[in-house]
Amino acid sequence: MNLPFLFRRARSRLNPESVLSFVFMLFLAYVVVLPLFVMVRETFIVHPMERFQIPGSKAGDYTLAHWLKVLTGELAWGAFYKPLINTLIVSSLISFLSLLIGGGLAWLVVRTDLPWKKLVSNLAIIPYIMPSWSLALAWITLFKNQRVGGSLGLFEYLTGISLPNWFSYGMFPIVITLSLHYFPFSFMLIGGALRNIDSQLEESAELLGANRQQILRKIVFPLVAPIIFSSFLLTFSRGIGTFGTPAFLGGPVRFYMLSTMLYANIVGQRPGLGYIITLVMILFGALVLYMDQRMLGERKSFVTISGKGGMSAPFHLGSARTVVTLSVLVFLFLVTVIPFFILAIESFMLFPGNYSLSNLSLHYWIGPASQTIGIGSSEAGILRNAAILKALWNSVQLGILVALICGIGGSLIGYTIVRTRGTWKCSLLDQLSFIPYLIPSIGFGAIFLALFAVPRGPIPSLYGTLTLLVLAASVKYLPYSTRAGKGAILQIGPELEEAAIMSGAPWVTRIGRIIFPLQKAAFFSGLLLPFISAMRELSLVVLLATPGTDLATTITVKFTDRGWYPYTNGIMVLIVLTILLITAVSRKLMKTDLAKGIGG
Amino acid sequence: MCKKLIWVGVLFGIFLLSLYAGGSGETAKQGPSMAAKPEVWSEVVAAAQKEGKVVVYATTSRITLAAENFTKKTGIKADAHRLSEVELIERLNKEAASGITAADVVLIEDYPSMMETLVKPGYLVNYIPPSAREGVPKEYQTPLVFAFVNRIFGYNTEKYPKDPFQSIWDFTLPEWKGRVMIRDLVITGEHQNAFTELIRRSDELEKEYQRRFGKPLEKTEKNAGYEFMKRLVQNDIILMKSDTTIAESVGKRGQADPPVGFFYVFSKHRDIPKKNLALAYSPNIKPFIGYYYGMYLQLTGKAKNPNAAKVLADYLISPEGYKPWSDEMGFYSANTKVPPYPDDKPWSWWKEHLWTYDPTYAAEHRGEVLDAWIKYVQKK
Repeated sequence: MNLPFLFRRARSRLNPESVLSFVFMLFLAYVVVLPLFVMVRETFIVHPMERFQIPGSKAGDYTLAHWLKVLTGELAWGAFYKPLINTLIVSSLISFLSLLIGGGLAWLVVRTDLPWKKLVSNLAIIPYIMPSWSLALAWITLFKNQRVGGSLGLFEYLTGISLPNWFSYGMFPIVITLSLHYFPFSFMLIGGALRNIDSQLEESAELLGANRQQILRKIVFPLVAPIIFSSFLLTFSRGIGTFGTPAFLGGPVRFYMLSTMLYANIVGQRPGLGYIITLVMILFGALVLYMDQRMLGERKSFVTISGKGGMSAPFHLGSARTVVTLSVLVFLFLVTVIPFFILAIESFMLFPGNYSLSNLSLHYWIGPASQTIGIGSSEAGILRNAAILKALWNSVQLGILVALICGIGGSLIGYTIVRTRGTWKCSLLDQLSFIPYLIPSIGFGAIFLALFAVPRGPIPSLYGTLTLLVLAASVKYLPYSTRAGKGAILQIGPELEEAAIMSGAPWVTRIGRIIFPLQKAAFFSGLLLPFISAMRELSLVVLLATPGTDLATTITVKFTDRGWYPYTNGIMVLIVLTILLITAVSRKLMKTDLAKGIGG
Repeated sequence: MCKKLIWVGVLFGIFLLSLYAGGSGETAKQGPSMAAKPEVWSEVVAAAQKEGKVVVYATTSRITLAAENFTKKTGIKADAHRLSEVELIERLNKEAASGITAADVVLIEDYPSMMETLVKPGYLVNYIPPSAREGVPKEYQTPLVFAFVNRIFGYNTEKYPKDPFQSIWDFTLPEWKGRVMIRDLVITGEHQNAFTELIRRSDELEKEYQRRFGKPLEKTEKNAGYEFMKRLVQNDIILMKSDTTIAESVGKRGQADPPVGFFYVFSKHRDIPKKNLALAYSPNIKPFIGYYYGMYLQLTGKAKNPNAAKVLADYLISPEGYKPWSDEMGFYSANTKVPPYPDDKPWSWWKEHLWTYDPTYAAEHRGEVLDAWIKYVQKK
C-alpha cells in the first residue's frame, strides 16, 4: 500500500458529507448502539433479587434463565405472550384508526373546497400537543362507571345511564383515546404528501382523457401510498411503547400490555426480565422501520425544484359540503375542546366530584398553601407555587434547547443522508438515527442514566443537570428533525448546489445562501415538533429528572400520586397553553406550517 | 474490503466499551461503620453546623414540614424530596450504580429490596442516633425503624352500618364479586412482600377456612396461600393504581353499591372529614385485619454531609421531630417516648391484630408471588 496514494485518496474523500456522516455515526453509535449492547448483556446476568428464582445462582452470574422464563414455561403466556398479543392488536387498531381519521381530514383540507381550512388545521394538531394520558383522564371523568365506585362519571351523572365495562375500560377506550391522540401525526404526514404532488402529473392525465376517479386511483394514491404506510408504521411503533394510558384504563379490567409488564419487572427488581421485554419492543419497532424503508425506497424522485408543485383544482364537495363541514368541526370540537375543558374544570373545583356551581374556586390557582381549604394539600396555588413555576420554566428551557439541537442536528444529518444517497453511509446513518425512536421511553431513560450519570473519559458526570435531560430528549427526537431535514433537502435538486460548487462557493456558503433560504419554513417546522414533544414528555424524563431539575410533567406525577388531581390538571392545562402560545407566536414570526415539519 | 474491516473494528470497539460501560457490577464501597466508633455527640453537632446542609429523600409527604422545622431549629438547611416507594428504590439503585450519592438521609420502604440492592452493597448504612438508643426498642434498631405503617380493609359505612366482614375468605365469596379493590401488585413492592406472608403462613389460612365454612379447603394450587390469591383475583378483582383513589371510591357517600378496599393505607382515613367520606376499617377479620410494614431511616454510605445526616436522624426519631406525623392515624413511631395519636388504637393493639412479613422469606419468594399474581390476573 502506497502511503502518498492513500493520503491523496483520503483527502479527496474528505468532503463535508463524509466528515459529517462520520462524526454523526460515531456519536449515534455511542448513544444508541452502546445502550443496545448493554441491554442485551444485562439480559444474561443475574441481578440481586433475581437470584432467588434461579436456584444455585448468585448476583453477577451469567444465565439463560431469563430468556427461558420469558419465552417458555407455564408463566410465559400470562406474563409475555398475552400482553404481546394485546399490544400488537391495540397498536394495529390505533394505527388504522388514526390513519383513517388523519388521512381523511388531510384529504379534506388539502384537496377539497372545505371552508375554514386554517381553523381545521390548527385544531387537528391539538390532540397531539396534549399529553397522551390527558385524553385517558378525560375519558374516565366522562365515562367512569360504578365498577370503580366513587363519584359518578359525568355521562352517568347527566343521563343516569350506566355504561358497560368494556366501554369504560380496557381495549376499547385505550384504542379510541390513543387513536385520537395520534391522528394529528397522520394528518400532518399525509397532508404534506398530498400538498407536494406536482399538478403537472394530474394535468397531463386529464389531457390524455382520464377522469377524476382514474386520476385518484392511478396517480394520487400511488404517490401517497408510501406515506400512508409510513404513518401507519410510525404510529404503530409509538403505540407499542406507551405506558400511561394502558395502565390507567386497563387496570380495572385486568387488561395488560407489554409496557405494563415492563414496569412490573422494574418494580419487582427484575431488570434481566425487564430488558428482554424492552428488546422485544425494539425488535418490533425495527421491523416496522425496515418495512417502512422498503416502502419508501421504491419512490424514485421527489425533486420539485421550485419547492412546490402547483396544485390541481380542488374537489368540490357540492351538496355534501355543509354536512361534511359540520361533522368535521363537531368532531374536532369533541376531541380537542371537550377534553381540555374537562381537565381545566377539575382544577377549578374545590372538592372533587362535586359538580355544583358553588364548588367553583380559584384556590388551586392562586390560593395560599393551606391544610384546611379544599383537599388541604399545604401547597400554594399553581400560579403562586415556586416549585411548579420553576418546573414549568425548566420545561420551557428544555423545549427550546432540544428544539435548537434537533433542528440543527437533524437538518445536518438529513442533508448528509440525502447527499450520500445510495451509499452504505447513507443507509447506516438513516437507521442509526432512527433507532432512538424505537426504544420505549421508559427503557431509554434508564439506559441514558447508566451512560452519562458517571464520568467517562472526557465526559463529566451529567447527573442532576438539565444537560442530561436535554441530551436524552434531543437524541430521542432527532428522528423527527432528521425526517424533516431529509424531506426538505430531497425537494432541492442537486443541480443547485452543483452550480454553486462550480462557481467556487465553499460548503458553508452553499448551506447559508441556497439550502437554508429555500427550506427555511421546513427548518423552523422541524424545530417546533421537538419543542412540543420535549415539553409534554414524561416517561423519558421520569428517571432522569432529579428533584432539582423537576419538569412540569414530572411534577404532576407527585400530585397525582397523592391524589391531588386539581393540581395535576391545572399544570397540564398550563403546559398545553404554553405550547399553544409558542406555536402561535412561531407561526406569526416565521410563517411556519407544522405540517411541513414531518417531511411529508 | 478496507471499509468493511474498519466497520468491524468500530463495532468490536463499541462492544468492548459496552463491557466497561453500564455498571461493572462494582457498587459503592462499604462506608465507614457508623455505629462502631464511640462518638461525642457535641462534636457531631458542631461538625454538622459546619456542613450547613443536609438532603433527605422520603416516601412520606410530611417530610417537607419536618425539614422546615429542622431548619428553623438548628439553622442547618434541610432539603427534602418526596418520592414514591418504587421511585425511591429505583432512584437510589440508579444513583448507586452510577457511583453518585445525592442524598444523606433516606426514609425508605420495601425492606427486602432495600436490603438486597442497597444495604448489602453498602450504599445505605444503619445509624442509631442518641434518641433511638434511648427510645426505640432494641429489636427495631437494626435496621432503624422510623415508623410502622398499616394497611387495612375498608368499607362504606353508609351502605354497611355494621362491619360486613368476619373472615379474609369472605373476599372470595360471590356476594363480593367485582366489588373488591386493591392496588395492583404489579406496581407496588410492599403488596408483593405482604402476600409472601400469606404463603408463609398458609396453614393458618387453611385453618381459618375450616373455621369459617365448616369444611376443609379444596386446593387447586400448592398451598392455601396461593389458593386464596387465585380465588381473590378471579372473583373479578378491581385493580387500581392508588390507595387514595381506593379510599375515595369506597367511602364516597350516596353510592348504591360501593366497593370495598383491600390493603389500602390506613392513613388515608385522615381525609374522612375533609372529603366527607363514610369510611371505616374492619377490626373483625380473621386471621388478620391487615398488614404492617416498616419505614426505615438510613444514612447513605458516602453521604456528603454525614454529621448533618446524623443530627437530622436524631431529630426525626425524637418526639419533637416526629411531630408532623403524630397528629394522624396510620403512622406509628417505633420510639416509645412518642405519644400515640389519641383517636386511634395504640401500636400494641395494632401489632397484635396485623400480620407483617418475614424479610428474608419475602426477599426469597416475592418473585414467585409476583409471577403467580400475573398468571392469575390474565384473563384467558
